[in-house]
Formats: sequence, structure tokens, C-alpha cells
Amino acid sequence: MATTKTPSRLVLNGLLNENPIFRLALSMCPAVGISTTVMNGLMLGTAVLFVQVCSSCTIAAIKNYIHPRIRIPTYTLTIATWVTVIDLVLSAYAPEAYKAMGIFIKLIVAFAIITMRLEVFACKNTVAMSFWDGLGMGLGFMFGMVTLGFIRELLGMGTLLGHNVLGFRPLLFFALPLAGFFCVGFMMAIFNYVELVFNRRKKRRG
Amino acid sequence: MARLRRITYLTLGFLLLAYLLVFSGCAGSQNRFIKKTSFRGTHSILITFAGPVDEEWATKASNYRVYEKPDPDIVLKISTIELSTNRQTVILHFEEPLNQNQPHMVTMRGIMTEGKSVGTAIVKVRKLYLGYLFSILIGAMLVQNFVFTKYLGLCVFFGTSQKRSTAVGMGVTFTIVIVASAMMSWFLYQFFLKPFHLDFLQIIVFIGLVSLSVQAVDTILRKVNPMLFKAFGVYLVLVIANCIILAVPLILADNEYNAAESLMLALGAGLGFLIALFLMSSVRERLELANVPPTYRGLPIAFVVAGLFALAFLGFSGMSIF
Amino acid sequence: MREILRITIGLTVSCLIAALVMGAVFTITDKAKKHNEYMNVQQTMLGLLGYSKSHPAPSELKFETIYRYIVAEGQTRYLGYLVPVKKNGKENYAFLLLDLEGKLKKLYSVDMRPEAAIEASEREKALHEILKPPRKFNYADSFIIAVLGRQRVAYLIPGEFPGFKTFVRVMLALDPSFTIKGLEIMEQEEDPGLGGEIVQEYFKNQFVDKPFKKIASLKVIKKPLPSEYRKYLERKKWKKGMFTREQIEEIRKKYRSADIYALTGATISSRAVTNGVKNMVKKFAYREKMLERVIAEENIQAAF
Repeated sequence: MATTKTPSRLVLNGLLNENPIFRLALSMCPAVGISTTVMNGLMLGTAVLFVQVCSSCTIAAIKNYIHPRIRIPTYTLTIATWVTVIDLVLSAYAPEAYKAMGIFIKLIVAFAIITMRLEVFACKNTVAMSFWDGLGMGLGFMFGMVTLGFIRELLGMGTLLGHNVLGFRPLLFFALPLAGFFCVGFMMAIFNYVELVFNRRKKRRG
Repeated sequence: MARLRRITYLTLGFLLLAYLLVFSGCAGSQNRFIKKTSFRGTHSILITFAGPVDEEWATKASNYRVYEKPDPDIVLKISTIELSTNRQTVILHFEEPLNQNQPHMVTMRGIMTEGKSVGTAIVKVRKLYLGYLFSILIGAMLVQNFVFTKYLGLCVFFGTSQKRSTAVGMGVTFTIVIVASAMMSWFLYQFFLKPFHLDFLQIIVFIGLVSLSVQAVDTILRKVNPMLFKAFGVYLVLVIANCIILAVPLILADNEYNAAESLMLALGAGLGFLIALFLMSSVRERLELANVPPTYRGLPIAFVVAGLFALAFLGFSGMSIF
Repeated sequence: MREILRITIGLTVSCLIAALVMGAVFTITDKAKKHNEYMNVQQTMLGLLGYSKSHPAPSELKFETIYRYIVAEGQTRYLGYLVPVKKNGKENYAFLLLDLEGKLKKLYSVDMRPEAAIEASEREKALHEILKPPRKFNYADSFIIAVLGRQRVAYLIPGEFPGFKTFVRVMLALDPSFTIKGLEIMEQEEDPGLGGEIVQEYFKNQFVDKPFKKIASLKVIKKPLPSEYRKYLERKKWKKGMFTREQIEEIRKKYRSADIYALTGATISSRAVTNGVKNMVKKFAYREKMLERVIAEENIQAAF
């Protein structure tokens, strides 16, 4: 946890140290299921970012009025409200993207990451701090989704954001939804490796 | 004594099942003379009469008029008609394969038996309803397994699949809760949300119901069977964090299933999760002993294993039973 | 006791606020959603007829929708067609009740504006007035006739059939002689990368130009797609000077009566789409001819 809570620290924390997908291993379902293209990752990332920031701010603003015994139901209610809002808006204004993401947009409500941030951070901090924290977490999620989408779209379809980059399809396998399991596994291993090397160097220096 | 009783129950249950099967098969007959109708193979319809019919009548194609229920004006062309030797069953062969997902209507004009006419009959031919329900169950369990082909509920899946005992506990608890909450959600959606055009409240209502049913199971279990509660109570909290439990009511609402179909889908989803957990935990128990590179230890290798399982489950894709 | 009261009030208030927020967003977005859906369908229809932003549709182009109903009276079934007609120079509707052999049973005139006819509930209300119980009716499907001036350009048929996994929803365009003008996949849930490829131009454009006679015997063959044909099919990737006019005409003729080349790794999906299209065309042609005959016989002033 960041000890000095500057906005940049909070955002970086969400992006790298506590990356929701690769480090905390939370909200894995969309990371596997629909990270087939960069666009999908970007869209769902935006939706999660929106819900995370809005819920964090809402809870931080009303934290003094929430009775401690109905804390969790209030969180759920808040998240569900914001998810419904983004669900309705996307289905009205971006029907194509909405169709591609299918049921996952509604399932944001069950993402452990959002409830966790509300419980751990937003109910103890100010609105501004919660905003930065929510932004960091949302961006971290988006970063994870886009990275996965990048790898899978490039290797699976040979395209990026729908533009033909390679001109051929190196490994059609990566376009299949189930390849997400392997991708996430490999990415986690890479993060672990980086950490391992980092720690070894630290030891050697110290 | 106890053994005898068990056998009696089993027989009774079996009889009931057989009875249901027979009944659902001929539920469509509106004429007493028609005993049974069913699809046979991809191109044929089988009709069983209560008595022998006249050969001259039975083999004349113009006496039959067959169409798919939503398209009454488009008559399906009969290529040949086959009459059994005891003259009680007729098999109609069609030129083109039948779309068996649609009920078919067969009109038989002036059925002749022993030189007498017993009137015109209109019968419905369709797949066994029980078979359809069963295919929903198997579909949700294997073909469309929520973990391996829909990629839902992964957080809880990876969290609780380290040990076999944990996996089974979680799976059983989850199945109970999902059946309870899905049925409640179905009821509420069909009778409150839909008639009053409150569809946009879906998410909030379903998540509320899930919390409610978890709380209810918690309370009941604590009072009724404290032993069981000790074993399964810890998993109850985790159930809420599983997105399958929310996905099932949403799918039910989208597909307009009825009560029996909803029950089958919920049960299939629960059992499918149990199967996935059991398979995964069996592998992970062995992985403990394997020599895995340090960077892959723990979750990364679990993901790769899950990927292999998903690859295997892809083999079920498109499979249809019944 | 006071604690419980406070909790209840707190929960009620938060629920109310949440419901208010959601209700407000719903009312704002609902209209936009319906409008966008409508525009999307319009865009697809124009696209199928070969119009685009760089080649806009002429303003005389009009879409006339015909709705088909199944009317039940006891055991007998009738077909009902809700057809747009011209009455004293104004657009109105007629309801044609046909028996299963295609003979006109009764002709009703329905007083309804074209804008109202888009809404399913409005149509039902109008039909309830003419089809009194015990007669029951069910909406079956609809098709669209594109009219340019006085001339019929195309038929547009929305349809749905089972794919490999779930349903495939399509829109099919036929010219007046029932040759396929275009196929658009509206919705599908096939495996991405395999059956999902049915949305690609090199698959769906294979159906274009298939004449009515060929459609009845259309098959799926498991052969690799010839590269010149593939280049020809991927119309969005055409560059200037890639094909001369003669070349296009030659390829078109060569493959006009060819069967459908299956997608690699998705033969069942390819076959499902082919059979679905085949059935749609067959049923539609049969009904269209019947309706056309009745309209001519009864001298109905149809709007198309």
C-alpha cells in the first residue's frame, strides 16, 4: 500500500504494484473471456473505470451517513446502480461494442475488485483520494485487458484495432476465447519473473 | 427391510419416469385413433395407430398434410410412405431433412380402418419435452460449461480448487444456492419486472436476491443442521462473489425460459461448476508434487491447466443429445 | 429499536435514490436506443442494396413493409398479410386473409398511418378491431419491398435459423427475380475465429448473384477458396485498378453457379447458413408469388 498518498502514487499503485488482473488475480472472467481484441479490452476497461471511479466517489462522499451494519448492502447497491447506468448508456449509444461484450458488462456488478476497493480504501478516505485510487485501479484493469488484447489480436488475427498489421495470421489459436487462460497464465509468470529478478538484484546490492 | 423399501422406491420412481416419457410422447394426439407420433431419423415421421389401417388409404400421399407449426401454408413434400406388416404403424419419409426443433403438424384426412372411416386427425409431432429438458441440463453442465466455455466464476474457481475437499464443499453449496436464487429471480422477473416494464432494474434485483438467498441458506443451515453448517458455512460468503450466480438469472431473463427449463439450467450450471472444481482440484493436488518452475508456481500453472481443460471441453461444442 | 429504524430509513432512502438515478437514465437512453436500432436496420438495408456514404441512396427510394400473421379459427389456420396500400392518394393498410391454398377469404381495410405501423402494439390494436374472438392471430414475420419511383428494386427479408451453437440472425436481399443481391449477418454467437468467420466478406458475399434456380440445389463444398475469387469477394479491400471491368464480369460469371466454399474448421456453421438461406428464399418465393397473384386478382392498389 502506498504510504504517501499522492495522486500519482495511487494511480501507479493500481497500474503496477496492485494490478487487479496480474497481481491481485481478481476479476479474471473478462480477462479470459473477451480480451480477444484490443477494442474489447478498451471498451470493458472504460466501463470498469467508470463504475470504479463513480462508486468510489459516491461511497467516499456518503461514508459518514452509512450505518456500519448495512455497509456491504450499500456498496452493492451503489455498484449495481452505476453498472445499470453504464449498461443502459452503452446499449443505447454503442450497440456494436455492447453486443461484443455480451453479459460481461452486467457482470461488473459481481467483480470483487470494485467491492474490495470500496471496503479497503474509499470508506476511509476523502473523495479526491478515492477518485485517484479508483482511477488507478480502473486504469490497471484497462492496462491488463489491453495488453492481453494486444497479444491475442496480433497473434490470433494479425490485426490491431481492426487494422491489418501483419498481413497473415500467425496463430489462429490465440483468437479462440479459451486461449485467454494461457495468455493470463503466461503474463502472470512474466510478472512473477520480473519480481524475482528485481528481488535478487536488491539482495545482491543490499 | 430397509433394502426392500429402497427397491420399492426405486421401482416407483422408475415407473413414474417411464410414465412421463410415454405421456409426453403422445401429448399432441387429438384423435383417439392415433396412439403415438414421433420423429424418426432426420427425414421421417413415425405414426402409430390404435388399430390396423387400410393399405389403400395409408399409402396415398395426398391423405397426409405435414407442415411446420409456424408455417401452415408450406406443405412438406412426402417422398415415400412405409406401412408395417401389421398395418398399425406408418412411416412418412420426406424429401428434405426435417427441422426437428420446430413442432410439426400432421393432418390425416378420413382415416380408413377395416373399410370404415374414423374421421380426420390433426396431430402434433415434436421432440420429447423431457429430452429437451435433459438437453438443457447437459448443455449447461458440459457443452456450455460455465467455467470452461463461458469463462465465468473464475475468481472463486481458482480460489477454491486447491484441495479436493474444499472443491466439493464449494460446489455443493454453490449448487444449492444457485438453484434457490435462480428460481426466485425467474419468478420475480416473469411476474413483476416484465409486466411492469422494469427490465432495467434487473441487475439490482438479481444481486439483491442472491444476497437474500445466501442469507436465507445461512440462517436455515445454522438452525437445522449445525454440523453441515460447520462444513459448508465458510463457502457461503464466497458464493456472492461468483459471477455465475448472477449470469444464470440474466440468461434466464434473456431466453424466456419457463419454470422447468429454468430449474434445469440452474441445476446444470451448479453441477457444471462442481464438475469443473472437482476436475481442477484433482489436478492441482498432483501439481503440488510436480516440479514446476518457480515463476509458474501457484496461479500461473493453474491457468495453463484450466486452459487445457477448456481445450478438452471445446470438444463438446455443438454436441446435441436428443 | 432506534437502531433498526435508522437502518431501515437509511436503506429505503438509498434504494429510492438509486431507483431515481436508474429511472432517469432509462428514460433518457430508451428513446436514443430505439432510434439507433432503427437507424442501424435502415443502414443495413441500404448497404445491402449497394448504397453507401460515397454513393447515397436517391430520395425516391422507399421501403414498404409487409407483415405476416397466422390467424387461427378453431382448428383451421389462415394467413393474414398486412399490406400497405394507396387510398385516395394517401398511405393506408389492407389486411388480406388467405386460406392455406392461397385463395383470398376476405379483404379488410385497416385505418393506420405508416408511422404507427412500425410499433407492434399499434398493429395488434388495429387487428383486434377486425379479427374478433374466437379468432386468434399471431405475428409470424415480415418482409420489406424496396421501391424506387414506380419500380420494384429488391426484397429485404429478415430471418433467423439455427447455427452451429445458437441462432444466426440475418438479413437477405433478393432482386425481383429472386436472385440474391446480398446477405448480412446481423447477430451470431458462433466460435470466434472459426464459425464466427461467417460475418467475413469472403464467406457471406459468396451468396451474392446466385440465381433462384441454383439456390434450390445449393451445397457446401469442402475445397479451398480460389484466390482470385477470394480477392473478388473481399469488396472492401478493392483498390483502384485491381480488376478491369471485364475481369469482374468474367469472375462473376465463372462462380455464379458455383457451390458455397466451406470455411476452414467451420463446415457445420457454413452448412447451417447455406441451408438457412436456402429455406428462407424458398419459403419467401412461394409466399411472394401467392400474395402477388391475389393482389393482381383483387385489383388492390398496393403501395409498391
